[in-house]
Amino acid sequence: MASRRKSNNRFSRNLEETSCESPEQTYNDNNHDAEVPQDADQVDIMEQESDEMIIIKDSCNIEVQSTDTQAAVSLQIAIQLAIALVIRITIADSEDNNAVVQDLLQFFDSEQKNKQKILIENSKDVTITTTDTDISANIQVLLEVLLSLVAQLDIG
Amino acid sequence: MQMNDSSNISNKMIDLLVNDILRKNGVNLESAKGKLSEEQKQQIKELVGDLTKQVNQFLYPAKDNQNNKGK
Repeated sequence: MASRRKSNNRFSRNLEETSCESPEQTYNDNNHDAEVPQDADQVDIMEQESDEMIIIKDSCNIEVQSTDTQAAVSLQIAIQLAIALVIRITIADSEDNNAVVQDLLQFFDSEQKNKQKILIENSKDVTITTTDTDISANIQVLLEVLLSLVAQLDIG
Repeated sequence: MQMNDSSNISNKMIDLLVNDILRKNGVNLESAKGKLSEEQKQQIKELVGDLTKQVNQFLYPAKDNQNNKGK
């Protein structure tokens, strides 16, 4: 079960209906910070910090796979830094290497936010898969730029 | 086959883009190649290898890593 992370994914599930096989089994996970509001439905909310909300109510056997946005952002930054590093150590003149880095990375500066809300209610055996395609595309292309740079410098 | 074709095309486009940016900024590739020691090259290769592995893990995760199942 996901613990508190920095992407804004909000999951809420009805604790009364957590298992198709054993309806009386209660949900128990010691690895996350759950806020349990005081209402009759006993909804368990795990809060993370990305712009995605998935509400699961009166359902069972629901599988959720989602993009870890924070990890994706960290990975994107790591690749950008690697590009800047390679440029910096191969081009002595700092003015030139700033310009090269700017030109290479200018295509990846735009920020896009995806907000979505998914409601699963009275359902069984459902799989939810969400993907942040914008950041995935950025990461792929940035890696290709790094690989191309390294190949052209005869490093790879 | 189509995926490989479009992947090849985008790789070629990126090669052209990188090459053009380097030339536009007056970077001499031959002298840039000579600036790196063998140790630096090896370190960069390892760094790029690690990043490639992380990107593949991110883009094509094993099912177990990102499952959240209500039990």
